[in-house]
Amino acid sequence: MTAAESSPNILSAREIQLHLLGLVLVLGLLGSWYWFSTGARVVPTLIELLKDDDPSTRIVAAEQLGQVGPAARSAVPQLLSQATQDGSQHANTTAAIALKWIDLTAARRVMTHFVPRLHDSDVQQRRIACAVIGSLGPIAKPAVPALLAVAHDADALLRRNALIALASIGIPPPPIGAALVDGLRDSSSLVRQTAVTQFAFTVPLSQEAVASLTPMLNDLDKGIATLARTALDKPRAGDAAHIESLGMMLGHSSARDYALHQLAQLGPEASDALPPIIPLLNDEQPLIRYLAAESIGGMGAAAKQALPALQRHQDSDPVVRAAISEAVSAIESGAVVSAEPFTKELPR
Amino acid sequence: MTDIAQEKSSRLRMMTRLGVWISLLGGLLLPWIIMLAVEILVRDVPVPRAWRSFTLHLFAPGYNFFLVGVLTALPFVILALLILFHLGTAAAHNALIAYRRALGLFSAGVSMVLIAGWIHIDVLIHPDAQGALAYFYLPILLLTILPFGYGLGRALAKAFLPRLSS
Repeated sequence: MTAAESSPNILSAREIQLHLLGLVLVLGLLGSWYWFSTGARVVPTLIELLKDDDPSTRIVAAEQLGQVGPAARSAVPQLLSQATQDGSQHANTTAAIALKWIDLTAARRVMTHFVPRLHDSDVQQRRIACAVIGSLGPIAKPAVPALLAVAHDADALLRRNALIALASIGIPPPPIGAALVDGLRDSSSLVRQTAVTQFAFTVPLSQEAVASLTPMLNDLDKGIATLARTALDKPRAGDAAHIESLGMMLGHSSARDYALHQLAQLGPEASDALPPIIPLLNDEQPLIRYLAAESIGGMGAAAKQALPALQRHQDSDPVVRAAISEAVSAIESGAVVSAEPFTKELPR
Repeated sequence: MTDIAQEKSSRLRMMTRLGVWISLLGGLLLPWIIMLAVEILVRDVPVPRAWRSFTLHLFAPGYNFFLVGVLTALPFVILALLILFHLGTAAAHNALIAYRRALGLFSAGVSMVLIAGWIHIDVLIHPDAQGALAYFYLPILLLTILPFGYGLGRALAKAFLPRLSS
């Protein structure tokens, strides 16, 4: 008779212990599988996947590399090539998005590659250029003037793409807000709907935007009217509770970039959130440091408290360094490069 | 113990061992099998492509099939531990109690598999922006169902299992 068979119970104590050990081993194996399949360890495999014939494989690989962040620096050449040379627009944009989390200078190179293409004779090339530049988000700030020009193109789809790209960049807010307000009066309903969507979900409302959105509550297109209602119902730039909740979001790594991007568009109104922004100048992600510098710069003189930290900071990334230097100038000159203050009660 | 009692005891032993590992591995593999089945049977994706797409998305941001598998497996790990400690420690000479426990745990397992399967299939066939939230609530739901499923199994056992003598 074995020990188990002679046991008074169905399983002997020893067998239960062995099963428990097996269970722990399985959990350990799962943990190891996860560890070896994520983070910097998987970068070489993902670089190989970027060379795959199937676009969906290249797209997923780029998304994963973006999540790895600066530790995936060795993938930059391949990602640059995918962002600029790949025949699939989705592959271009996912590579561009990955680059902004890995290397800001490389992301700016993608922008420089596509800005001249905004004036290409082929309208499809112009549309792709808009989409890729927009996917870079606030990193593509220097492309704003070129995108503003494209927002008046004869092609409605291109105007729509340009407005989406401008809203995704978001800074500096005044010209972007003005272009979106123009979009609310566009002859194409597609462009109007795109503009009102950006006010509903992406960009803060300026006084001019509120004035233009209010009559749209009665738009014959119910979709546009609903979006206008959503935009007018959302928290306003001067809403202290909104600033406070954005400040709280800075403590959560997954929401940090969104919160900083929103604060960067609020200008001096965001100065209540300054204390939690200052430590983010030392974040390990260059994109977060860049957005922190842009947020502080947008506050102008209201961010005086951040001046010593900005002057002391020596950043390794040239794009962040430039943003910090701009922020210092904005604070010292008292210039406000953000949305106009807006505290008045608006029509509902 | 008589030969019959010994045979019952060794059958129960085998059932307990299998139950622990089927619960553990089945809980982990269930969502992955459903994902592949939906791709192949519902969306008519060829098997090699479905497999490649599945392995690609195992750790991909926004998909993370690995995490989905682990989240679904958690309540099944608890079930495996219950099988181990509740059924495994039942007295070998009292087959009636052991069978009642086994039926209770089997019923709990089947209820959990049915609910998990239904939720996974529904999320995959009717995808929407909030669909992924179901994966986070699923472990809580399954853990809630576990005692009810067990109770149902015990009640069925009490009603239908003949009085067994050791």
